[in-house]
This record gives sequence, C-alpha cells and structure tokens, in this order.
Amino acid sequence: MNLQMILLLLLLGGIITYFISRVNTKLGASSTIVLSLGTLILLFLIKDEQLKYSLFYFNFETSQIGWYFSFVLALTYGMTAFYNIYYMDKILYPSAYNALYILSLGGSVALFFAKDFITLFVFWELVVWTSAFIIPMGKSRKAAYIYYVISSIGSMASLYAILWIYKLTGTFVIKDAFLALDVSLWTSIIIFILFIFAGLTKIGIYPFHVWLPLAHGSAPHTFSPILSGGLVKLGAFIAYLSVVIFPAYDAFSEAWMIFGIPAPIYALMILGAISIIIGTLMAIRQEDAKKLLAYSSVANGGYILIGILMVDQITFAGGLLHLFAHAIASATAFLTIAAVAYRTGTTKISELGGMIHRMPITYTVYLISIISMAGIPPMAGFVSKWLILQGLASKGLLILAFAAFFGSIGSFLYVFRPLAAVFLGQLAPKYKELKEAPIFMIIPMVIMTCITLFIGVFPKYILEMIVKVQTEAGLNVVPLEGTSIQIFNGFLDAYHVFVIFGFGFFIALVLFLLMPKTRSVDLMDTYTSAEFIYTPELLHYAHDFYAPFERLYDKRPDTLSLYKKVSLKIKEFGLFVDYAFMGNKPAVTLMWIILFITSVTIGGMIS
Amino acid sequence: MTIMNFVNAFIFVLLAFAFQTSITGINRKVMARLQKRRGPRWYQQFLDIFKALSKSSISHGWVYDFGVIMALGGIMATVIFIPVANFRAFPNTDNIFIITYVLAVGMLGMAMSASGSGNPWASIGVGRALTNMLAYEVPFMIVVVTMIFAFKTASVGEIAEIQRDLGIFGWNLFRMPLGTIVGLISLQGMLGKKPFDSFIAPAEIASGPMVEYGGKHLGMLFILHDLSTFIEVSLIVNLFFGGGSNFLEFGIKYFIVYTIANLVSGIMPRFKIDQAVVYFYKFPLAAALVQGFIVVFTGWGVTRWL
Repeated sequence: MNLQMILLLLLLGGIITYFISRVNTKLGASSTIVLSLGTLILLFLIKDEQLKYSLFYFNFETSQIGWYFSFVLALTYGMTAFYNIYYMDKILYPSAYNALYILSLGGSVALFFAKDFITLFVFWELVVWTSAFIIPMGKSRKAAYIYYVISSIGSMASLYAILWIYKLTGTFVIKDAFLALDVSLWTSIIIFILFIFAGLTKIGIYPFHVWLPLAHGSAPHTFSPILSGGLVKLGAFIAYLSVVIFPAYDAFSEAWMIFGIPAPIYALMILGAISIIIGTLMAIRQEDAKKLLAYSSVANGGYILIGILMVDQITFAGGLLHLFAHAIASATAFLTIAAVAYRTGTTKISELGGMIHRMPITYTVYLISIISMAGIPPMAGFVSKWLILQGLASKGLLILAFAAFFGSIGSFLYVFRPLAAVFLGQLAPKYKELKEAPIFMIIPMVIMTCITLFIGVFPKYILEMIVKVQTEAGLNVVPLEGTSIQIFNGFLDAYHVFVIFGFGFFIALVLFLLMPKTRSVDLMDTYTSAEFIYTPELLHYAHDFYAPFERLYDKRPDTLSLYKKVSLKIKEFGLFVDYAFMGNKPAVTLMWIILFITSVTIGGMIS
Repeated sequence: MTIMNFVNAFIFVLLAFAFQTSITGINRKVMARLQKRRGPRWYQQFLDIFKALSKSSISHGWVYDFGVIMALGGIMATVIFIPVANFRAFPNTDNIFIITYVLAVGMLGMAMSASGSGNPWASIGVGRALTNMLAYEVPFMIVVVTMIFAFKTASVGEIAEIQRDLGIFGWNLFRMPLGTIVGLISLQGMLGKKPFDSFIAPAEIASGPMVEYGGKHLGMLFILHDLSTFIEVSLIVNLFFGGGSNFLEFGIKYFIVYTIANLVSGIMPRFKIDQAVVYFYKFPLAAALVQGFIVVFTGWGVTRWL
C-alpha cells in the first residue's frame, strides 16, 4: 500500500505541482518541499517491509538497497527543496522546474525499487530527461547537451546489455535474469561492462566526468546540490546491480585475478582511482566554487565506486556509508554556495571574500561540511573514509590506496580554497551591507550539518542500514558493537574520538580564557611589510591560490578538448565518406566501379 | 571512559609538552654548536612560551580566536591518542588513521585562523603548508598501509609491540629499510624542517602562516608546534623503531630521531614548494611503492624474516 503511495504521490505529484505552480510559484515550490519530505516519511513507514506493486507494465519490489538509496535521495531532495522558494523568480520556467524536480525524485525512487529491467530503464530515462531539462534553466545550454549525450551513451550501452540478457535468458526480471545467465567468460565480461556503463557515466568516472563540472557549474543553484548529492549516486546503484545482483565475482571466477579481484573489476577500480586523482587535481585549480565542488564529486565518486565494487565486509560498507556522507556533505556545501550566491550574485571565488563577517551561520555550516568531505573526525565522512582505507590496507591494494590518500590529502587543499577565499579574508566594501541567508535557507543547512555531525559521532545509525544491505547481499556484515566498529585490523569508536576531541578543545578553551584579554582590531589592521594599503580587495588573496602546485600540471591536455579532437576527426572522416561515396560526381563513381571490378577480377585470379 | 582516563590524559599532555619543549631547548643548543654559537639556555623555549602567553594580543574576529582554540584542541586530542611504551590514556584509540586525521583538525584550525586574520601573507603560507602536506603525507601513508597489511593491525601501539617482541632486528628499520627511509624523509616534511620548510620560509614571505600572531595566540601556537612535533616524532619512533618498552627507552629513541632530523635540517638548503612536491613524488613515492610491493608479493621482512 505504502509503496504505491510513494510512487503515485511522486509521479502524479509532479503533474499536480505543475498546475499549482501555474497559479502561484511560491506555493508550487512549497509543494516540492511537502512532497519530497512526505516521501521521506513514507519511506520510513515501509522500512524493512517486503512489498510488491505493479502499475501498467511496471513492476516494483522493495529491497534494502533500494530503500537505502531512496532514503539518501529523498533526504537530499527534501532539504534542497527549501531553496526553491527563494529561486522561483530567478528561474526561467518555475512551474516546469517544480514539476521536473518532483518527477526526477519520483523517477529515482521508482528505479531503485524496480523489479525488472524495463522499469529500471524507463525510469532511468525519466530521471535523465527531467534533469536534462532542468540544467539549461541555469547558466548555459551547452552543459545540458553534454550531460544528455554522455548520459545517452551510458543508457544505450545498458539497454543493449539488457536486451542481450533478455535474448539469452528470456526474462526481464532483474534477479531471475542474472541468475539464469550462463554464458562464457568473455560474454559475461562484455555484458558486465555494457551494463555498468550507465553507472559509470552517471557517477562521473573518468573519462566520462566531463559533464559533471559543466552541469553542476551551470545548473540552477538549487539543482546543483541535487546533482551532486543525489543524481550522481544513481550510478552507484547501477554499479551495485552489476557486481552484487549480477554476481560478477562468481561469473569472473576464471578470469585473471589481481590481488584476488577479477581483472575486469580491478580495471574499473583503477578507473575509479584515476577519477579520484583527476578530480582532485582539477578541483584544486578551479576558480568557480561550484565547479570546484563538482570536481570534488568526481573524486568522491571514485571512492564510492571502489567501495561498492569491492563487495566485501569492510570496503563495501565504507563505500555505501561514503555515499551517504558525501551526499549530505556535498549537498550542504553546494547549499552554502547557493546561499552566498543568493546574496551576492556570484559563485566566482576571487570576487568574494570575508563572508564570515556577514554570514556566520553559513560559514559554520560550510566549515562542518568540508570537514566531512575531507574525511576529518568527528564527521560522517571520516568514518566512511576510515572503513575504505582499512579495507584497502587489509588487502594490500597499494595503487588504489595511493589514489585514496592522494584524494584525501588533496581534498584538504581544494575544500580550503572556498573557506579561505569566499568566507575568510578581507570583506570587500560592496558587501558591507550584506545580510545572513534567509531563514528557510538556514533551516535545511543546519539540519544537514547536524546529520553530518551526528552520524560522525554515532555512525551505527547508518551502518545498521548498511548491515541490512550486506545481509541481503549475502556478505559478512561490518561488526558493530555499542558505539564502536570492530574490524579485524582496526578499531574505531567514533564517540570516544568525539569526546576526546571535545576534551582537548575544552582544555584549549580554558587556556585561552585564562590568559589576558585580546584587543579587537580591524581586518585591514595587518602587517603589510610597511606598505600602505587601504583597499581591502588588494589585501585579499584568492586568485591562483595554489599557483606553485598548479604550475606543475598546467599543460595537461583537457579531457573535453580531447573529445573535441576526436569528434573533429570523425567529422573529417564523414566528409571523406560523403565525398567518396555520396557525391554526384561521375568521375568518383566511375573510379569506385573500376576499383571494384579490378579487385573482383584480381581476387578471382588469385583464388 | 572513567574520570581517571581524563586525568591521565591531561597529565600525559602536560608531560608530552614539557618533554618536547625541553628537547627543543636542547636542540636549540645543538644547532647553535653546529653553527659555532653558544646558543640559549635549555629552558629558553619555556620562557619564550610563557612570556608570549602572558602578553595581551590583538584579535581579527571570532574565527581568528576560534581557529587557534580548535587547532590546539585537535592537537591535544591527537597527543592523547599517541601510545608511548605501554601507556595509553584511553584504550583502543591508537588507530593510525584516527591519529593522522585528528591531527588534520589541528592543521585545519590553524589554517582557518591564519586566513581569518585577513593577511594575504598568512594565506600564502597556508597554501604552501597544505601543498607541502600533499607531498609528504602520501608516500608516508603508503608505507603505513604496507604495515597494516603486513601486521594485520592498524593500531600504532600494536605495531610497535610486534616489532619489540622480535628484538632489535625486528624493528621496521631492518624489516622495511626502504619504508624507513621514506618515513624519515617524510618526517622532515612533517616537522617543517629543511629542506621542506618553505611554508614558514623565514626571510622569504614575512613569516608564513604565523605572520599576524602575537601574545597569547602565539604562545598557544608555540605549544601547538611542540605538541605536533611530539606526535610526529612519536609516530616515527613507534612505527619504525619499535617504540619503547618503557618511557626511558622511548625517550632516548625519540631524542635521537629528533636530533638527527634537526641536524639534517641544519645543513640543508631549502626546496621551493613545487620542487618539494616533485621530489616527494619521485624517490620517496617510488621507494614506498617498491617497499609495499616487496611486502605484499614476497613477504620479505614480514613472513620471511628470522
């Protein structure tokens, strides 16, 4: 009963929202909040229930993994929906935006609960289409093209795999089809790669990451958190289906093993590792805060992919927890940037500065979200990274560990840039009159910050959900005891870490308070090597923050320009074919006829 | 978690501070002798810190104060996690990843406070410090991963114990010689000693991240510096030199490692920040990976040893 309520609520709700928004856009925006938060509540009502539902040709079935993904997405959508109210007059087609917003959530939830491939594919396309129409409502249309093209490459490859599986097994039901699949090693590898293609393009794994910075950077400010915190995670779901439901490890048991991992899966993990490194390096040099966070999503997508592909006790749990932690933290970071952009009208790092003096709550929220993104305790991101690193270490996967550490330390660099240049530093005079973000922006930001902190201290509330997923997948579960996680090569009690950190902080605070009082001075009252500078902008260091480091890889060819070169070559080849075969020049046609006859004659003589 | 744990932890932090500050003082003398000076008295470092703490200072806003408190708090928490000999203030908290990442809280707090001062020199210094971190941390962590794989534990105390049980040749210094070299080179970077000190770079960019500080802020950052030195050197002693079966043994090893790092620093020129990155991603990274592959594939130094 409840399952169909969720699905109908979202799919019909999208249409209803459209008509409400036609009457009053703010009311329509409020209905997106109600619908997405309502989904979240309904999801909690069907927790742990085994439900089935059929609607026309579509079949749905609840599962723990589907529930977990739906939960993460509904949370991200619900929190971000609060921002819609403030952006209604800035978006070109507000009614369409609201409707598509709810439909994309509906499509995601429907595909997570899909029982057969057709349902999966149809709702996958619904999500791709709805988001492809929302993205151009922001800054650029080009981003939407690139997003759509790359998504289509993925979906078409997956559709091919689905039809192939149907031809081999005669069924579309996901679990049955994968079980009945009994093919040679190479066929199963090709099917696996084709099927996971949609996931790789969506999660933004190298070399398909080009759409992320473009789409995240130019989507409406209210939709970037959804892209990064929600829709990108759809790719992880496909990855899950490909390795767990399609038992890739069993199917590839005869394949060449690397560190006990079948070579095709290991190759995908290496792609994940490359995404971590490329995402980190590119994030470090971005000048736009949203693009910077988008590249960080590329990097974190790599962690999630590696974790899920591992299908084991520790790393897998880490990957799924990272999915949650990153979704929340990244969405929060995007929301803070959206709040700053709402007040100042820009997301360019070098045009901002000193926001902390006008928007202290937004600053605190951003600080906590980046602590989580960088994987520093006591935030959720630390627990997930800890699990992933412990898992990689336990198997001696050094290359992947290298990428994981590079991304982890590198994330300190890139998350610190907006902190230093947007929120800290000198406040430009034109922003002197700025106000804190409006109340309905503060509420979701603060809630999400509290979630990040709470899960960082008590990770078991999410890990218990992951334990259920692991049980469903037939894996060893990650051992939880009280507030601690005890795996064979490590022990983490996040609560203790939090308390000890609090203790340290307390001592430092007491020391600070006991010592003589400080005298407050103006920001411009700094040491300037005896220069007289009266312009705050000149004393703000924001541009080329890591110049010496960026210089090391400035000349690296860009993936997008690589694609452009390839497309140019294809175009040239097409022109050649056009000239050679399709032209209306008799001489060329005559040449082909002569060549054909000659080759037939020669061939006949030889044989 | 009893009240006793917290009392122990507090005393431990005080001892760690007193110990490292004395050693810093002694090392100031050692450096002076290296440069043919007489050098200050061994307790000069204490005097400097207490004098700074007792002076009033300026503040550039709440994050400028908060960052310093967060930094010192994070570093103190990390000190509490460090196992020395058989002493642990709290049981089961000496996981290497916890230590390295809680340490990062301190670094982040300091970076935040420095940028919050609004001084561009401070931001430049922070940018360099973070870049430096990206350089030295990655090779070091690969060696750490190798150890976790080899010894099946991520607890620093247990790794030290495993080495001690096998006598002096059980130390990772002999079992993983390449890894030890990487660890010692990384230590140079962690401590911000030459050749990797360009983020402080005296006489180059005013004084790096610390440029705006004075009075009690500076005093607290001095304490922070000494405590983080304690953490980093203790890690190296525990991971590569078998820790110590008692405080004295640990202290002696600690003194030797720190003094050697200081002497190396005394005779080295300075890398530019990008040169430091390139350097770390050449030899130390390659050595760490080679060491890792030796351990993972052949088991030399772990299973095939003694």
